Order: sequence, then C-alpha cells, then structure tokens
Amino acid sequence: MNVDEQRLHLLIEESQDQQSDAMRDAKAVLPDLRDIASDRRKSTIITPDEIRALEASRVSTRAKLGMLAGAGAIGVAVSSLLASPVAADEALDIQILQTAASLEILAVATYGAALTLPFIVDGNAIVKAFAEMTMMQHDEHRQAFQAQCKALGGAIQENPNPKYKPIVDAAVPTLTDAAKVVDLAATLEQVATETYLADLNMFTDKTSLGLMASVMGVESQHLAVLRAVGALLAGGGEALIAIPTDVAALPAAAGSVSFPDAFQGTTMASPPKEGAL
Amino acid sequence: MNTNTDQTNDPSIVEMAQGPFSRRRLLAGAGFIGAALVAAACGSDDKTATTTAPSTAGTTATTTAPTTAATTAPTTADTTAATTADTTAATTADTMAADDGSATDGKIATLAAGLEVLAVNTYGAALDAAGKGALGEVPPAVAEFVTTAKAQHQEQLDKWNEVLVAAGAPKVTKPNADLDPVVADAFSKVTDVVGAAKLALMLEQIAAATYQSAIPVLTSKDAILLAGSIQIIDFQHAAILNFVLGNYPVPDTFGKLDQAVAA
Repeated sequence: MNVDEQRLHLLIEESQDQQSDAMRDAKAVLPDLRDIASDRRKSTIITPDEIRALEASRVSTRAKLGMLAGAGAIGVAVSSLLASPVAADEALDIQILQTAASLEILAVATYGAALTLPFIVDGNAIVKAFAEMTMMQHDEHRQAFQAQCKALGGAIQENPNPKYKPIVDAAVPTLTDAAKVVDLAATLEQVATETYLADLNMFTDKTSLGLMASVMGVESQHLAVLRAVGALLAGGGEALIAIPTDVAALPAAAGSVSFPDAFQGTTMASPPKEGAL
Repeated sequence: MNTNTDQTNDPSIVEMAQGPFSRRRLLAGAGFIGAALVAAACGSDDKTATTTAPSTAGTTATTTAPTTAATTAPTTADTTAATTADTTAATTADTMAADDGSATDGKIATLAAGLEVLAVNTYGAALDAAGKGALGEVPPAVAEFVTTAKAQHQEQLDKWNEVLVAAGAPKVTKPNADLDPVVADAFSKVTDVVGAAKLALMLEQIAAATYQSAIPVLTSKDAILLAGSIQIIDFQHAAILNFVLGNYPVPDTFGKLDQAVAA
C-alpha cells in the first residue's frame, strides 16, 4: 500500500486542529445568533411590508425561473415552493436549515455504513481515512445547522432526509466494492452542494446564509475528491489514491475530472421543504 | 513525483489578504471600493489581462498512468450550469440597477473580476513558464489542471464582466491592484511545479474565501447565486491542489475567511 501512515496521521491531526479553530470561530458568533433569534421571536407576526417584499421576491424569482426552461428538478421544486401559502414562507429559513440537517444526518449514516464494509475497512487507507474524516465533518455540519435552526426558534430536525434515505437504504446492500461506495457518496455530496447553493438566495437571515456558504464549500470539496477517487478506481489507479501521491503518474484527467464546469448548477438541489418538520 | 508537504503561504500575500471581509468592514470600506469603481472606469482602455498559453505544456508531458480515467468524468456535470450562469448574469445586472444595494454589489463584482483576472494571468504565466521548460518536467495532471483552471477562471471573469457591463460599469481587465505586485513577485521566485502549485493554492484559497465572505453582503439574489456557483469551483480547485501537494484535500470543516480580500 502506497501510504505514509505516519504522515497521514499527522495530516489528520493538523486538520482536526484547524477544525477546532473553525468551530471556535463559529461559536464566537453564537451570542449574535441568540440576539437574532430573540429579535425574530419577538416579531412573530409578519408585517405588511414583509409580505409585499416576499411577494415581489416571488414574482421576480418566478420570472427568472421562466428563463430557465428545461432546468428540470430545480424548476419544479422551486415552482412548488413559490406556489405555497405565504405562511409557509415565514419559516423558510428554518425549513432550509432543517432540510440541510436532514441531508447531513443521512451523510453521516451513509459514511458510517460504508465504514462497516470489509472492502472499506481493510481497503485503501486513504479511502477509509477520508470516509472517517468526512463523516466527522458532516456531523459538525449537522450540529451547526441544528444550532442555527434552534437559534431562529425552529424545531431541530433529528432524522435523515426522507427522499434520499430510502435510496441509500436500497443502495447499501448493493455496495460490493469501493467504487460503488464512492459513487453513492458522490451523489449525496452533489445533492448537498447543489441544495446549499440553491438555498443561498432564499435566506433572509444573513447568519444562516454565511453558515450555508461556509458548509457548501466543504461539501463541494468532498465531491471533488470523490470524483477524483472514483476516476482513479475506475481507471485502475487505486495505488495513486495516496497522500502523498505520485503526481507524475497521475493521468491527465485527474487534473480536471473534479470540476467539469466553471459554474456549479443546481439540478439536483433539494427544495427547502423536503426535510422540513 | 512526490511533492513536499509544506503548505506555508507566502507571508506577504497572506498579510495583504488578511482580515475578515466582514459586512461591517466592507461597508466601512465602501468609499475605497467606490474609488476602485472609478479607477476601473478610467482604466477600461487598458490592455486586457490575458496571456498566451503555450499548447505544448499539456502535450509535452508524458504518462504511463491509466488513461481510462478520462472516460469516467462525471456526467452529472449540469448542463444547465452554463444556462444558469447566463441567466444569472443578465438578471444580476437588472437587480443591481434596481436594488438599494446595487452599489455594494457592483463593488463586489468589480473586486471579484479583479481576482479572476489575477488568476487567469497567473495560470497563464505558469503555462508560459512550463512551455519554456522553466518549471522542469510538468506532470500531465498538473498541466491539465492549470489549463482547465485558467479556462474556468476566464469564464468566471467573463461572467462578472457581463454583469458589470449590463449594469453600465466598465469591464475589469486589470488584476486586483493590491495582490498583483505581490503575486508577481512570488511568481518570479517559482522554479518548479511545486512552487507553482503552492502559489495557485494560495490564489484559489483567497478567491474562495473572498466569495464566501461576500455572499452575505451581496444584496442581489442573482449575484449571490453567481458568487456561490464560483465559490464552489474555487474550493474544488483548492482541494485538488492540496492533494497534488501532498496535503489532506479537505482540511477544514467550515470554510475559512481569514484569507478573504478586504475591500
């Protein structure tokens, strides 16, 4: 196995230190979150101005979506959202955060399931370490989304995403090699990345927006790594899944397979209500 | 080629980019950004910031590694991504012209475009250097990365310029004025692929952090979507550069803002 175990251990430790720093930064804004939540709870009745702003936003967004003919799922999903009663939009931020938490819970469970499979446990050390680290990062994301949801006065979503859980449940028994695990994980990471991207311009709460942007970038990195790993596995380059890797031996495609477009799309985005309580 | 794992950033560039790009700080710096907009208007006739990328960079490298990986490129790459970006550019300009926050959005668009010019220039210079053999042997994956990243940053630059022009502002053709001389100095010291990759990683991290910090400040929903769709790609570039440099590719659980460019 082309793995420098000691080096990997050091890298993971370093990464965990950085994670602690990031969490400390995140916790630093908790007093602000509590203030915001307090302000929002004091104002439980939506004002006429807010309704007018919401309606204007809906009309504008609907017009823009009309320009995205053929956009598929995202168009259907958001059109459905826009057809919802105004009352539902009062809690849109909370719905988004609950759905995000549901995706994180499912991701943690999926990586957890993968880490029970013998070809992951006893397979490529980097794939295993990535699954462990990524599971931990998703759990931190879950906690952050749940805390933010609570700060806004919402109920905490404790269950996995209802749309994708049955899909994952059906897929797990068919996972017979690492490539299939990587494919499944990549799908979940893409759904999360695109969901969070689509959510960005629906938020009214800026702190939630900042949190979502922060998590979105990390999910997109998970996706990038899984695309590269998947390509190496499919191309017989498993030995190159190492840290450090043999850069000279990497196929040219390894330099581009992880980011096929200059702009991220949202066709696989989950609508805010999908995992809402 | 095993690369070393030193991820130390050039301190001068880090210093230049230091300081969170907070909403408060951005608003406080609005005057400065306004001046930048004026400067951009005055400089619109400057020569465009493009470089000629020698095509030999990608073709001179040899490899015995599996080539089938190319065929496994994810087909999930959204065909609607470009359409979304096009639509976003048009509607962002409309919104920028109508919103109270249009000035803020315009300033951020200008800042973003300046960072994209810097990225395009730097990747272009790396391709030039590689073509002249100044970086030693360039692995095919690295050549492919640089070519792809340069093209994607060019697309992103074009999109921001579409937004700016549609809003009545001039195109941005010059790199970010604060970072450009520092990056140029750092690049002059690059002698191999590892050095080039480290510099590229730093630029991608700065761009990703800047977009992340700008998203809560932007007022136009379309500008937010555009910035987010680019932020993702920059994060992904950084992940692969980390992997190439022998670092863990996803080192942070939450995106950091400490390298965001302050306006």
